[in-house]
Amino acid sequence: MIYANPVTGLVGLCVLFAMLIGGVPIGAALGLVGLVGLAVAIGPDAALIKGGVVVMDTLTRYELGTLPLFMLMAQLFFAANASRDLFDAAAKFFGHRRGGLAYASIAGCAGFGAVNGSSLATAATIGLVALPEMRKRGYSDALATGTVAAGGTLGQMLPPSGALIVFGIIAEQSIGKLFTATLIPGLSQMLFYCIVIWVLTRLRPGIAPPTERAGWPERWRALARIWDMIALISLVLGGIALGWFSPGEASSIGTAGALAIAAVRGRLSLAVLERAFTETLRTSGLIFLVIIGALIFSVFVSVTGLADAIGHIVTALGFGRIGTLLVMAVLLLLLGSVLDGLALMLLTTPILLPIIVHLGLSPIWFGIFIVRAMEIGFVHPPLGMNLYIIQGVARDVPIMRIFKGVLPFLASDLVHLLLIILFPAIAMWLPGVLGQ
Amino acid sequence: MTIVVRIAAWIGGLALVVATATNTLAVIGRRTGLPLHGAIEIVQVCVLIAGGIALVLATGWDAHARIRLILDRIGERPRAVGLRICAALAGVTFAALCVGSAWIASDLWRAHEMSEILGISWQPLRAFATAAMAVVAGLFLWSAVRPQR
Repeated sequence: MIYANPVTGLVGLCVLFAMLIGGVPIGAALGLVGLVGLAVAIGPDAALIKGGVVVMDTLTRYELGTLPLFMLMAQLFFAANASRDLFDAAAKFFGHRRGGLAYASIAGCAGFGAVNGSSLATAATIGLVALPEMRKRGYSDALATGTVAAGGTLGQMLPPSGALIVFGIIAEQSIGKLFTATLIPGLSQMLFYCIVIWVLTRLRPGIAPPTERAGWPERWRALARIWDMIALISLVLGGIALGWFSPGEASSIGTAGALAIAAVRGRLSLAVLERAFTETLRTSGLIFLVIIGALIFSVFVSVTGLADAIGHIVTALGFGRIGTLLVMAVLLLLLGSVLDGLALMLLTTPILLPIIVHLGLSPIWFGIFIVRAMEIGFVHPPLGMNLYIIQGVARDVPIMRIFKGVLPFLASDLVHLLLIILFPAIAMWLPGVLGQ
Repeated sequence: MTIVVRIAAWIGGLALVVATATNTLAVIGRRTGLPLHGAIEIVQVCVLIAGGIALVLATGWDAHARIRLILDRIGERPRAVGLRICAALAGVTFAALCVGSAWIASDLWRAHEMSEILGISWQPLRAFATAAMAVVAGLFLWSAVRPQR
């Protein structure tokens, strides 16, 4: 046990960082550093057995089923043309206003994010539908691409967020409570984006010309195409928030409903099902590997006492609660410019979470905070993945123009993150009111 | 997709459908006073089957998340070498997990572990998890040493 000390933890952290930057699969890097670190700290036999225990515990974990089931639900909705219908309905209601299609894109991202749980998938899917429409109607490329890139991040901030499920599993927190806690931050983020669009279109009206107004019959028809999806999403999210069922059960009810909706719309075939299974398993496999690696790594960090040591240093610095959180936010944003979101969360959670608890803050709040910071990384030049996803959709738009387009949204993201730090009740009020 | 991969995808997908049906019936049963006992244990088995297959498929398709900051900025030859080293490291990780998993399975083989409500035997479940780790390790190691196409 002589090597079970914070220095070993720090060395492990540095090696992990180097391996991640070097391109080793994130889950494998976390697992390898965790296993080797545990072998050094507590012995090779104990490390191997701990690895074996984590594998079996993780793969038979009831809560883990939540993730692939929500993904399957999203795939089935995708097959049922949900992204186009959601955007179309929003466009029919808001499209005639100045910047209306940009508002509709944000609403479409929020709607699709609420069935999807992934930023990249939300940006890509809504981008495919909304970008050609906005560009055809004379919207500036910067506004159109920036809106969808930023809107895509709502996928992780609105339940059922994949990132929050992963956080819940590795931090051993209630996924239902995390979903309820993220509702107000997610909706207020959406509101912030709408304010950005409003300000931009007031300052430079030429970037988003108004389009023709859709009549009420047309609007009702668009609404009729999405009512079933809205009802199902409301049941799933409402059921979790009100405690009718657990997130695991909610994901099953969502998938059963999505199967029914796809069947009623005549979109369910063996080929569609096989594609949905394949895509779900591909993404689930990626995330399961990361979860297994992260759990082993977090055992290593805990054995070395690294988190406690960093906690003592942070306390000794005397920054106070807000100061410490601001330092953490800056650290996360800096790391977010070189690490991808999932790696950032899994690398920092075992170290930062004990500090958060030491500061007297809730781990649930921390989950919302870290996912929000991670989301900023998705639109943060030069690495922001959403920006490159959008460039993949609008290939003729230079990346610098997309960077420029996302900057106002990025500024609003930073203000939003600051508000979450200053007023933790933004996240914690709703779970408290609902008695969770 | 080969037929083996398609069959694996269907088995994994159907495991998710069974989990969906089980949980949905459990919720309906709870609300109507006809509880479905052991639903959690069935879902756990489904998650294990889907999860093991998902890990294997994601590895076979090289779908695992990695940071490409350096890999995308170096020449083709060093990148190929780098990817082989990364695959070898990932293979070693999974080989270690496979050993750990097999070790526990062999220790508990004669203990006849069973789930509490339905009495599902854990022997095949542990064997499945170990086999999944072995296949993933094999796939990573194969991509580290396979001849360049």
